[in-house]
Amino acid sequence: MSKLNETDIQGFVLRGYNLPVARYLFLYFESAARARSLIGRLLSHVTTGQRWDGAKPQSTVNIAFTHRGLERLQLPDATLLTFPVEFQQGMKHRAEILGDCGVNSAEHWDKVWCEDRVHAWVGINGLTPEALDARSSAVLSAIEETDGAVVLDSQDAAAEVVQGRPTTREHFGYTDGFGNPDYLGVVRSSQPGQGKLQPDGTWVPLATGELLLGYADEAGELPIAPVPHLLASNGTFMVYRKLHQNLATFRDYLEKQAGTYAGGKEKLAAKFIGRWRDGTPIELSPDNPDPVIAQDPNRNTNYTFGADAQGTRCPMGAHVRRVHPRDAFGFNGRLINRRRITRRGLPYGRFVPEGESVSDAEERGVIFMALNASLSRQFEFVQQQWIQYGNDARLGNDKDMLIGNHGGHGRFVVQGDESRTNPPLVCSNLPDFVELRGGEYFFLPSITALGMIAMGLVDPR
Amino acid sequence: MPNKSGSVYGLTILSPIIDDEGATPSHDLQIRNYLARLPTREDSPFALAPGTHLARLVVMDDVIYVGMPACEEHLKSKYLVFESNCDGDLDGYLRGLADSIPEHLDAIWKHCVGYPGAANRQAFIDYMKACQLDTTFYFAAVNDKSVSETLRALQTQTAVAEFIATHQGADAATLRQEFIQFVAQLKSLPPPRPGSMGPHRDIKTGGRNE
Repeated sequence: MSKLNETDIQGFVLRGYNLPVARYLFLYFESAARARSLIGRLLSHVTTGQRWDGAKPQSTVNIAFTHRGLERLQLPDATLLTFPVEFQQGMKHRAEILGDCGVNSAEHWDKVWCEDRVHAWVGINGLTPEALDARSSAVLSAIEETDGAVVLDSQDAAAEVVQGRPTTREHFGYTDGFGNPDYLGVVRSSQPGQGKLQPDGTWVPLATGELLLGYADEAGELPIAPVPHLLASNGTFMVYRKLHQNLATFRDYLEKQAGTYAGGKEKLAAKFIGRWRDGTPIELSPDNPDPVIAQDPNRNTNYTFGADAQGTRCPMGAHVRRVHPRDAFGFNGRLINRRRITRRGLPYGRFVPEGESVSDAEERGVIFMALNASLSRQFEFVQQQWIQYGNDARLGNDKDMLIGNHGGHGRFVVQGDESRTNPPLVCSNLPDFVELRGGEYFFLPSITALGMIAMGLVDPR
Repeated sequence: MPNKSGSVYGLTILSPIIDDEGATPSHDLQIRNYLARLPTREDSPFALAPGTHLARLVVMDDVIYVGMPACEEHLKSKYLVFESNCDGDLDGYLRGLADSIPEHLDAIWKHCVGYPGAANRQAFIDYMKACQLDTTFYFAAVNDKSVSETLRALQTQTAVAEFIATHQGADAATLRQEFIQFVAQLKSLPPPRPGSMGPHRDIKTGGRNE
């Protein structure tokens, strides 16, 4: 496998930028011609996957389109019809599959997602708020000068800053962002536990086609992709979900459950997710967080569940065990390697330290973005089967503790043993800790494809 | 015995559907229409009749050759396919169906060639067995327990989970006392009705997403 043409792939696909502030613009195209000229103008802004070699840019720009947006850009019907069905339908239409019902249903979404008008996403990341503003202004000027789009809405997101340094913590207090998968040909600082598990216990990168269109996937096939090949190749699909976090509910629930749990509050918090709040995998360190492990890239994603078949270290239903079962299903991981997603995103809203008063009503959560070659096979499967259902984890109808759509009826079992500090616990009447506030499916094209779209050169013949 | 795994029976019945150009709508569409409106869960005919773990009724119109080069093949008839994982002895199971849900059986099978009606028990059993295929391999969705044992087990599992959830942290004496009471109460409960134990699901599961 030769290395990928990084200059043809949007940088957002190949790497998490680790830039602490972001703004996501949602565009509506009024005219195909003017929108194309805008895309042409933005091409020079778009950050590619080319490595930075130490010189990190002040800001980045990336672009993606909804199917509706591609229609508005007047791509040929023969192209539009070849996109995968779930992308054509859009995320709102897939609610029944995704479990986006109850408080997660579209009637509770932000206005911009209710109206089915979003044509494009422009993601801007910055090293500082000033750099973010400067780059946003440049993008907005391009929009204004070309009259290429209406900005329907924008969403700011930012990492929590502690003592002047951005962290990867989210609002519930967990350190996030471990363990995105490795893919063949993608040059990044990889670590064991991030690709696919081999029979000898080592980890190797997943097939490129699990992330990028135009390359063989884990089944040795090219992923389903639109024609022409040149439009699809080096592109991918992106899920955007705005996940509101009910912080007051979470803290109250944890406090209340911890009252009957002899392992203590922090251990219970760790059982929920499978990591201590500093990120230490509970599978590797069941009794206490261990910063040495948490910060060691050779260890902090390097574990399996084979020796913990009863879940007495990491509960069967812990979030990380559900969404990346690692060695759990046998068949040399083949049932898992086809369900991996690459995650991006940042929190939004004000961080509130423990002990300070907080309300669920405040605007607060995480912008969750996932990249994959197949929305239905990868993201939708994980959401449907591993988040909103428990059968694969041998948990019947139980849903994911943290992001399941519980409606007050959920259950989460902490398996335990006979020791005093690791007792079993059944958490009942789970509320909705996380609520969906909207989102959509996007196509993130290659640099070449962006040029083709800008110049009206998409030709499926 | 090719149709049995332990005490559970894998029943497959193919009944030819009446081919009558004069019938409008056609007999196969009339079966489809009836099946599409059958209730599920507790009111399903197969919940009302004893002994069914899982049942499936399908109208098989024809076979479609999937492969290359394509070729045209046809069945001699359209068939009603009835598959069921059921308890035990086949005659007893069929008799139970005829006793409990004769009106459903007649409404469905009256569109099939040679169906004698459920009122004549022995003729009904003979007809069904004449249409039976040996199943050999079949989807064993259940362990080797009867329907009533399975329902009892589900009831016990749910009740015990609920008991644990509501008694965590109780002192040993209280726990013991309430557990004894709980077990006695559980034993005195009537078994749950077939079809009642599955939770209502607001999400599609299994199969292809598309």
